[in-house]
Amino acid sequence: MSEPADTQLVPPSSVVLVSGGSRGLGLAIVTDLLDAGVRVAAFARTITPELEKLAAEHPDRVHVGAVDVTDLRAAQSFIREVEQHLGPIDGIVNNAAMGQDSLHAHTATDDIARIIETNLTAPLQLTRLVIRRMLAKGLRGRIVNITSICGQRGFPGLVAYSATKGGMDAATRSLARELGGRMLVNSVAPGFFASEMSAVLGPTQLDQIVRRTPTGHLTEPAEVTPVVRMLLREHTNINGQVIVVDGAASV
Amino acid sequence: MNELSRAQIRDLMAQVLKNQDKELPGDDAAQLREIGFRSLDFSELALRVEDETGEELNFDAPGLRRIATVGDVLDFLVELQHQ
Repeated sequence: MSEPADTQLVPPSSVVLVSGGSRGLGLAIVTDLLDAGVRVAAFARTITPELEKLAAEHPDRVHVGAVDVTDLRAAQSFIREVEQHLGPIDGIVNNAAMGQDSLHAHTATDDIARIIETNLTAPLQLTRLVIRRMLAKGLRGRIVNITSICGQRGFPGLVAYSATKGGMDAATRSLARELGGRMLVNSVAPGFFASEMSAVLGPTQLDQIVRRTPTGHLTEPAEVTPVVRMLLREHTNINGQVIVVDGAASV
Repeated sequence: MNELSRAQIRDLMAQVLKNQDKELPGDDAAQLREIGFRSLDFSELALRVEDETGEELNFDAPGLRRIATVGDVLDFLVELQHQ
């Protein structure tokens, strides 16, 4: 589709929805955005004490909910609550995901389906809900998909997971085109974290990755949050990109 | 459920190795690294057990990483059949 370009700038997001915001990178993103003065709506399957504490500290700027990202109806009513409490959503961080650590041949078919539903179908559905609200209100906004280096590089034991992350990177590019400059859409693809989901790689594999990383260390959430914040808040012309944060391990 | 014994699994393991002109030592303490039994060989063995029992054996990689000896392989597959 070739239409006249929409040259109006996309303003910084002021109300940001973060999926999977209760722990790990998601929680770090929520905390970082709050520090930057943004209003944040965070949901996760279970609300952790850490997220509870943030909500108590900033009652007028945080809205939290226990919502499973695959439960579209619950996500929809959460979005309505958020709009009433914080105002219209003009930014979304698709962060909720489940990991994998099993060879493809020995992964139960139900598990493959669950990984795809959680990591690919659910974020596409959630994004659809949010952009429908934004388009209906004539809002401009930002979308950040948290993907993974697995979307571009191969790792054993992560076949279905990699497929979903590569899928989200591809969706990022097409959405950026489709939304014609009214929304900036980008992916942030971290390398492996030392914690949590990197239980997906054994210690030997992690040591090997560290040895091959020019910066000499695995990625920390605090090294990813500034990139997410920039994509949500700064005036850049970055759109439809996948930004890898892995210390050049994959280069 | 049609379950394979430890001895039957040992026979299948010997076949997997024999196809690669390798031999399965009688000692359960033998190191997989030394006899050249690798993770995809474990996959092959697990799938052969599946063929015999008609039941899928699905498992995570961490369990696989703990396997170091012939005895570990046999124990793991006996245990998997019970899950």
